[in-house]
Amino acid sequence: MSTVAAVVVTYNRKDKLVKVLDHVLAQTRRPEWLVVVDNASTDGTDEVLAKYETNDSVVILRLSENTGGAGGFAAGMARGYELGADFVWIMDDDCYANEDALEELVNGLHQAEKAMDMELPYACSLVKWTDGGICEMNNPGTTWDWGKLIARGQENVLVTHCSFVSVLFPRWALTRFGLPLKEYFIWFDDQEYTLRVTKAGPGVQVLRSVVVHDLGVNRGVNFGDVNASNMWKFEYGARNEASFRLHHENPVAFLKFVVRLEQGLRGGKVPWSLRAKLFRKVIEGVKFNPKPDMPRSVL
Amino acid sequence: MPFEVLDESCVGLVENDGLLDDRERRLVVGAANFHALAGPGQTFRLTVLRGPRGTMPSLTDDQTRRIEWEDDREVVGSLVFRSSVHTTADAGSQDKLVDLAVDLGGEPEVASAYHQLNGVLGKVRRSVRFFAPVQFDVLRQYRTDMTERRYRRHDVPRKAPVRISRGASANPHGDTPAILFGLHWLELGGAERFALETIQLAKEAGFLPIVVVDRPSTHPWITRPELDGAVVVPLSHPISPDQESAFLNGVLSAYDVRGIHLHHSSWLVQRLPWIKSVRPEIPVIDSLHILEWRTGGFVDISVRMTNVIDVHHVISPMLRDYLIGRQGLAPERVKLATLANLTTGGIDQSGPVSKDHDGPFTVAFVGRFTQQKRPYLFLQLAAELKSSAPGPVKFIVHGDGELSSEVHGLIARLGLSDVLELRTPARPVADTLADADALVISSDNEGLTLTSFEATAAGIPVVSTDVGSQASLIAEDLLCSRHPYPFIKTAAQRIRTMMISPAQRKTWLDEQAAKAEAFAKLPDARTWIRDTYQGWLP
Repeated sequence: MSTVAAVVVTYNRKDKLVKVLDHVLAQTRRPEWLVVVDNASTDGTDEVLAKYETNDSVVILRLSENTGGAGGFAAGMARGYELGADFVWIMDDDCYANEDALEELVNGLHQAEKAMDMELPYACSLVKWTDGGICEMNNPGTTWDWGKLIARGQENVLVTHCSFVSVLFPRWALTRFGLPLKEYFIWFDDQEYTLRVTKAGPGVQVLRSVVVHDLGVNRGVNFGDVNASNMWKFEYGARNEASFRLHHENPVAFLKFVVRLEQGLRGGKVPWSLRAKLFRKVIEGVKFNPKPDMPRSVL
Repeated sequence: MPFEVLDESCVGLVENDGLLDDRERRLVVGAANFHALAGPGQTFRLTVLRGPRGTMPSLTDDQTRRIEWEDDREVVGSLVFRSSVHTTADAGSQDKLVDLAVDLGGEPEVASAYHQLNGVLGKVRRSVRFFAPVQFDVLRQYRTDMTERRYRRHDVPRKAPVRISRGASANPHGDTPAILFGLHWLELGGAERFALETIQLAKEAGFLPIVVVDRPSTHPWITRPELDGAVVVPLSHPISPDQESAFLNGVLSAYDVRGIHLHHSSWLVQRLPWIKSVRPEIPVIDSLHILEWRTGGFVDISVRMTNVIDVHHVISPMLRDYLIGRQGLAPERVKLATLANLTTGGIDQSGPVSKDHDGPFTVAFVGRFTQQKRPYLFLQLAAELKSSAPGPVKFIVHGDGELSSEVHGLIARLGLSDVLELRTPARPVADTLADADALVISSDNEGLTLTSFEATAAGIPVVSTDVGSQASLIAEDLLCSRHPYPFIKTAAQRIRTMMISPAQRKTWLDEQAAKAEAFAKLPDARTWIRDTYQGWLP
């Protein structure tokens, strides 16, 4: 039977973390390992994790510095791979998985692969917000023939990219494509990675696998929302996406991104000083072109 | 044997009074095996020649048909034998005597590839190699990076499968159950050591091993006891196409071949499509040991021929991941079964022990003095540690090989004579491990080093280059880049840490032991091979 390593990346969110971990450990198809990556939290997360450490299936990875979501996922996925897992199932520290979320993901991926007669590089869940509606930030992009499996009676949608909130990657995808780009630190790391592995075929969103993303506000990423306090995240976003569009797509995609960014900032009436900072990050993205690390085969 | 001796002179097959030593005698038998199998029912006269030191045997190639030889070949024996392989040809055509001249080559010679470089370019490379081995290695590693990057971009093409499930029968086959083995050569090596083990397992299961080796070599291991009773055929090339098919037909008709087991044999693997077209029911296992440095080597040959191989046996998780993840082979056709306890026998495995630190901290290198093992890099590390260690330090270099003179020269040049002890392979490795506080593996290419198992069993932390599957056995912090300067910097820093912090040394050792323990739980190759062979019995 295939083995699964669940990977949860956390940073200073100890209250939600307990619920996240308990949901993972209560799965109907329980993962063989639960790898928790503590991104050098300073809020007492370590004490919370100490309670889980007595569980043989729980592996705590304590990083010496905050490497962002990108670095955390890269480290956690690498550890899952080193443990010998056939799949890694990754999520944030504010994602509560329904008790059959993993079981449905595994089954959904298997069904989709059978129907498509090919290996598919990932399966992601349907991500809801706390009110039961769709979580806007976590909507995957779909392929042109997204309804192909629905037409065959499956509750699965073909997708091109998704966010790192309950995604199941088979081991071979890591072997072939490596790990997420840790240098991205935060934002666009998930999109870059899922677009990268989609070179091997589409991903699949398994609608029967449901998780709840406990975000404060249910709103997608929009450059019109930039302000001084959230600026730091948008800076990473602008640099990373500019880098991706230029180095992994083409100059036209890069220019389209610049136009979209400018339109978003103008629409949100973002102050000029912040706009200038973001465009400096876009220029940084021209030079910024990190290469993925490959996971190590240990077991 | 597939032949009967009618007469002989000085070979020593009938009476032990020949001019040949055991290795040479077995090479003669190997040549006779080939010709007897390729010429069923025929009578042969072998004129046995011996060449000067360092020349390779010529036993099965087209040259053996010529009754004229080089001036420096001496005649050391003559053998007349008749093939006992069954033939359907009429007796008349078998009456004539076939004359062959086989050359046993000379005594085995140990020589570095660098010593064999010719011309001005060869001289320049030899000089640079000698005067600046580490700097030269920097260039080599960059070349490896570039070659690997270029190589890995391409997918390995696949040989089309054999679609038939039954070959049209030409000859009945013999009754003796046999396994056909394909080996690279019969020389010291990890793959060869395991291959000999499997040959022994085949004998114990009741099979006759037929062992075909295909690379030019003096085959020093042809005298190994595991090969007693086996039909050994050391090929030399080029062999004419009709002789190749005749030989394989002879094997398939003289014996009841129940399986084929390959151990890095490019000649046999390339003939598999034909064998599968004649006898599709014969199962084929290919054992792989190492993801070849720079190019895919045997692993990619195996991928190319995957449609005519039933099971790819790999000894490391890295190879499994490469075959399944990178090359897309079906997981059920890739079997991971490891050699975890290959050479740990005889060493106390009671667990990690703290070393007594009364004397100097001892850092050891155990391995052949070859380009792959890079002993010069260890010596450079030793020089670095000698000048920067926080306390007294001592080094043991245990081995021998083609770079021996370079090792001796560097020890003097780097001023290590007073702190470095050289040990020859005559001394047990266990002695060195018992004396060492840390072991260093400086290779630029490895599969899964056997000395790492031994060191773990002896309670020694290992600092190693992060190559091949070393990550399966070595503590994460103790894995270093294979590039020379980063390697020296990291390895020296880790060893200095071990010297000032026994607790950290113990932490790394515990991580190494935990990895070894987890690794040991993976399926065992010997058990899997034994069970597989049992399943091949009639």
